[in-house]
Amino acid sequence: MIKRETAPLPSALVPFEIPEIKLIKATGGLEVYYVQKEKLPIIQAIFISSAGSIYDPEGKNGLAFLTSLLIDEGAAEYDALQLNNELEKLGTITGISISHDAFTFSILSLKEHFERSFELISKIILEPRFEENDFNREKKKTLDKILQLKDEPSYIANSAFEKRIFAGTNYSNPEIGFEESVKSIANGEIKDFYRNEFLRSDLKIILTGNITGDEILNLINRYLSAWNFDNQLRRQKLFSPAVLPGLYIVDKKESAQSEIRVGNLIKNRNSEDYHAARLMNTILGGQFSSRINLNLREKRGYTYGAGSALNYNKESGYFEISTAVNIDNSADAVVEILNEMKLIRENITQAEIEFARSYLIKQFPSRFETYTQIARNISPLILHNLPIDYYHHYQSMIENVKEEEILKAAKEYVLPEKSVILITGDKEKIVRQLGSKLDMEPSELDIYGNPV
Amino acid sequence: MINNSLLKINYEKFSLPNGLEVILYPDPSSPIVSINIWYRVGSANEKPGKTGFAHLFEHMMFQGSQNVPKEGHFKYIQEAGGTLNGSTSIDRTNYYESVPANYLELLLWLESDRMGFLLPALTQDKLDNQKDVVMNERRQRYENQPYGQAWEILFSNLFTNDHPYSWPTIGWMDDIAKFELNDVRNFFSTYYAPNNASLVLGGNFDINTSVKLIGKYFGEIQRSNSIPSINSPGQKLKETNRIIHKDSVQLPRLYMAWHSDKAFGPDDAALDILADILSSTKNSRLQKNLLYDNQIALDVSSFQYSARLAGSFIIVSTAKPGVEIEKIKAEILKEIDFLISNGISDEELLRAKNSYKSAFIYSLQKLDTIVDHINHYNYFLNEPDSFIFDLNRYEKVTARDVINAAEKILNKPYTELNIIPKQKEQ
Repeated sequence: MIKRETAPLPSALVPFEIPEIKLIKATGGLEVYYVQKEKLPIIQAIFISSAGSIYDPEGKNGLAFLTSLLIDEGAAEYDALQLNNELEKLGTITGISISHDAFTFSILSLKEHFERSFELISKIILEPRFEENDFNREKKKTLDKILQLKDEPSYIANSAFEKRIFAGTNYSNPEIGFEESVKSIANGEIKDFYRNEFLRSDLKIILTGNITGDEILNLINRYLSAWNFDNQLRRQKLFSPAVLPGLYIVDKKESAQSEIRVGNLIKNRNSEDYHAARLMNTILGGQFSSRINLNLREKRGYTYGAGSALNYNKESGYFEISTAVNIDNSADAVVEILNEMKLIRENITQAEIEFARSYLIKQFPSRFETYTQIARNISPLILHNLPIDYYHHYQSMIENVKEEEILKAAKEYVLPEKSVILITGDKEKIVRQLGSKLDMEPSELDIYGNPV
Repeated sequence: MINNSLLKINYEKFSLPNGLEVILYPDPSSPIVSINIWYRVGSANEKPGKTGFAHLFEHMMFQGSQNVPKEGHFKYIQEAGGTLNGSTSIDRTNYYESVPANYLELLLWLESDRMGFLLPALTQDKLDNQKDVVMNERRQRYENQPYGQAWEILFSNLFTNDHPYSWPTIGWMDDIAKFELNDVRNFFSTYYAPNNASLVLGGNFDINTSVKLIGKYFGEIQRSNSIPSINSPGQKLKETNRIIHKDSVQLPRLYMAWHSDKAFGPDDAALDILADILSSTKNSRLQKNLLYDNQIALDVSSFQYSARLAGSFIIVSTAKPGVEIEKIKAEILKEIDFLISNGISDEELLRAKNSYKSAFIYSLQKLDTIVDHINHYNYFLNEPDSFIFDLNRYEKVTARDVINAAEKILNKPYTELNIIPKQKEQ
C-alpha cells in the first residue's frame, strides 16, 4: 500500500502568458479590440453597441428587445429566410442579444467563412429591412414568450427582485418588456429606435482568432465604412435607484420550492475596492465551497445549490444571494442567509482568505482557454471603462489586497438591514413558517414585483 | 478548406493489471491538465423500485473518501485553481477536473482515493444529507419547472417498464426517499471498480511521469469480480399511444417519440441530419412551416437521441395561444410525408453537413471537452482517435440515406405526450 494520508504537493509552475489585447482604430473611428490566436482556424467576433434596453422610452418597455429580434429578419437584398439561409449554410453560429446596457451581435465562424459572415453581419447592422409582416410575427412571438414566463419561478423571482432593488430606473424593468408595453409598440417605433438610438450608439468590435490587425481593418473598410461616428450621441443616463428594502412574497400556488433572492445595491465595477469585494464574495457565496453553499446545501440539505454574486450593470451594481429551497424550509433558509450576511461582516479567517486568493489567482489562466471566453472577457473592459491591460495586473491585484480590506468590503457590500428579501412560492405555506422565525412583516407583490 | 488532420488525436492507450483503461493525450500548448473518468454505469444498470442510484453516486463521490474529508474534494481542486464536476446519463457516469498542470498528482490522488477507498468514509449522515440535496435537485430541475416532468413521462411510456431506459436518470422521488446505506454500498462495490472504468488524461504533462504516477495511485485498487450485464428487451410499439398531462404552464406542448437507431448504428448519422433538416434553422422544414408560414407554433425542435442500447427520434413543439395541438401535429406529419415522397435538396444537405463540420472544429477549443470526447469514442467504438471517423459518418450521408431513414423510422407508431395548462391564464 502506498501512503495516501496527505495530499501530494504541486510540482514546478507551468508558465502562462495572458493573451495580449490590442486596440486598433479604423478610419472613421471604429475601435476594435482583438487577440490574435492561431491554434485553430476559428474566429470569434462580438459587435457591442450601447443601445440597450435602458433606452426604452416610458411605456415602451421591450422596444430594444423587439428591435434586436427584428434586426436580422431581412437586410439589404435578402428577406428574413434568405438572410438566415446565407448564414446557416456557412456553419457560422450567430447570436443577437439585448441587455440593459448593450445590444450585442456575436459570430463564431471558421476562418474560411469569416469574411462572408462579417459581410452579412454588416448588412444586418447597416441595412435592416424591418418589414411589416416580420414585425407582426416577432411581436406576437414576444407576447407569447411573456405569457410563458408567468410560469418560470426563477424568472419571476429575478424580475420582482430587480423591480424592488432598482426602483425608479429602467434597470428595474425586464428587457423583454410587459404585455401592455409590447402591445403598444408599432413598427415605426422600431425604425425610430434603430435610427435614433442604435445608429447613434457607441459601437465597438471584439475579435479573437486567426486574424491580423490589417485583415480586420480591410474588412471594416470594405463592409462597415458606412457606420457614421459623427452621428453619435454620447448621452449620460442619470441613475439613482431608490432601493425599496423589505421582506416580500410573490405567491406561486402549489410550488414545490421557494425561489429566494436577498441583496442590496453596491458600488460600480470600476471602484477601487472591487478586488477586496471579490475575495469577500468568493468566501461568502461565490463558489461551491463557500459559507452559504456549505451551510444551505451540504450541512442542511435545504437546496441543490446556493450562492452569491456581485452583479454589475454599467451604472449600478448589486450584491445578490440566490437559491431555490424545499418549500417547507423557506423561512429557515432566509434566517440562515441573513445570519451568514451578519457573520461575514464580523469575522473572516485567514484560512478562508488564503483559500479565496489561491482560488482566484490560480484559476485565472483557465478563463482564457476558448476563443469565445477570451472575447467575452473583453466586453467588461469596454462596459466598465477598465484599462486594456487590466488582466495583466489582475493576479497581482488579488495578491495585494490586505486582510482588513476584505472585512471592510464585507461591511460595505453586504447590507442585511438595507436588503430586499424576496421569496417566490406558495404564499400560504411560507407565511405560516415566517411568524416565529423572522421579525418582519411580509408584503405581497405580483409576479412583476408591484404591490398587490 | 479545413484540413481534417486537425481532428487527428495522438494518444497512448494501455491497461493496468487491475483492468483500468488509461488513455493519454498530451498537449504541451496548454497550461492545464484535464482528467476525465468514465465509469460504465448509468441509470440503465438500476432496477425498478431502486432507481436513482447511479445519479446518487455523482453526489456521494464528492462527500470525501478514506483520506479526503467531507467537502475536501471540492476544496482541494478549487484551491489549486481547478474546475470539477460529474454527470450521469443512462449509460455511464463521468467525473472530471481541470487544474494548472503542476497539480497533476493531486488529481490522481483524489480520483484514486474515491475509486478505491470511498466506503470506509461513507456514513448514514452523509447519505441522509445528499438524499435531501437530490430531492431538492429533482424539485428544482423537474418538478418546479414548467414542462419539467415531460421527459420522464414520455420515456416511461415509450419504453416498457422492464426496459432500463424507461425510468429517469435522477430516479423516481419515491425511490430516492427510500435509499438505504446497504444498497448504496453494494452498488459502489459492484460498479465503481478499475475494470469498469476508463481514465483519460489530457494537457501539459510528461508521458513517462504520468504513466508512473497513474500506476502508483490506481495500481493497488481491487477489481470487481462480477459486473452484471443489462437486460434490454426489444421494443416495438403496436400502435400510437397518447398521454395527456396537466401542468402549471400557459401553452400546450406536443412531444412525439419514435423508437429509432442506437448510437453509432447504421441510421444514426442520417437521423441526426434528418433532425437538422427538419428543425435546426429558421429555414428548416418545420420551423418554416410552423413558425413562419402558418405561425401556429412558438417553437419546434427535433433530435435523434441515441444511446448504447437503443435510440429514439423526438419532435417537440409548443402551440401558440388558441391553437390546438392536433393542428400542429397534422402539419408535422404532413411535412414528414412530404419529405419522404419528395426528398431533400442538395442545399439542405450541405447546410446540415457544414454545421456538423464546424461544430467538430469548435469543439477542439476546450481541453475538458476533448478528453470527454475521447472517453466517449473509447466507450462506444473502442478507439479514442475517432473524431475523423465520426465526422466522416456525416460527410458520407446521402439524400437517399436521409429519406430511407425517415421512412423506416417515422412511418411507424409513436408515443405522443400533450402537456396542457392546469388552469386558464391568471
